[in-house]
Amino acid sequence: MKVALALLLVVGAALAGLLVSRGGASRDTAELSNRGGPTVAIRGLRMKLATIRTGHVLATRHGRVFYRLRTVSGEPCFGVGFATDVGTPGSVVCQRGFPAGGDPVLDLSVYEGTRHDALELSLIRVEGFAADGVAAIQFFRPNGDIALTVPVRGNVYSAASIPRGPIAGYAAVDEDGKRVWRSP
Amino acid sequence: MTRCILEHMKRFVLFVTACVCVAAVAALARPTAASASWCWPSCSSYGLLGQSTSTYTGCWFSNGEVCSYYNSWFNLGMAKTCYPGCDWNFNTTGVVLYGFENHDRIRGRFSSRGAVTLYVRPADLSMSGLLRAQVTWYAGTNQVNAAAIG
Repeated sequence: MKVALALLLVVGAALAGLLVSRGGASRDTAELSNRGGPTVAIRGLRMKLATIRTGHVLATRHGRVFYRLRTVSGEPCFGVGFATDVGTPGSVVCQRGFPAGGDPVLDLSVYEGTRHDALELSLIRVEGFAADGVAAIQFFRPNGDIALTVPVRGNVYSAASIPRGPIAGYAAVDEDGKRVWRSP
Repeated sequence: MTRCILEHMKRFVLFVTACVCVAAVAALARPTAASASWCWPSCSSYGLLGQSTSTYTGCWFSNGEVCSYYNSWFNLGMAKTCYPGCDWNFNTTGVVLYGFENHDRIRGRFSSRGAVTLYVRPADLSMSGLLRAQVTWYAGTNQVNAAAIG
């Protein structure tokens, strides 16, 4: 009886392991294939919790530099900054979980509000990072209309011109134009 | 005996004077960067930023926002936890706008992530001069710690 129970447990565990690995829950293949250029020294960051010494430039678009960074403790970070000051990112995000199949976009777009009575925000800069397989980012109006579509190249997106008006979210689409992810 | 007491007093005065001089030099040598800072809710704890949260300090929005006093800030840092929970990709139900504001506008970036640390400098939002650092509620529940240094 005990042997049968042990056998049942072993078979159950093996089946569960197989299902988890085939379901992709144990590993996420989403990645940024753009590894960037040579290592650059990162300076000007007075950041106690995220000590970053070096990074890689993934791209330069519309006067902005896109960085792939890593803290001295190995935590992955991403940053953006002006191309006139390479090595000095103006914004840095250190987070777990990006890129992932369920989280393929790290949007670093800048929003602006001029009304005190409503949280109505419009874009003043569009930029960010996207995982392999994301072909474009769509930004929406509050009524769901598409306000702007920005192509992703080399895991980076940036827009030269931005339409005025309120924005209420964004989504990632693949090469076929199919929506693969949407912001909360 | 009297001469001995005077000698002791003289030495004591010299010692105190030397201590005052050392303290003055040390104070003047402190970096100016440490002279301005702002934290919410404190510099060593997290707070829940909700729709009705306010620092009541004249922020852009009267509710759902915490903001610093006006200063020429170097950067704003924000750490957000997974509270009350994260999904497999460390997303939370909460969304915040973090950045800066002045009398004319509020600017920032959105984040819905938990287990995240973010930094932004005013110039990166094309802002300068006297500003308030701000973190504004947009959705859900957010447990954050915000700090700005000048």
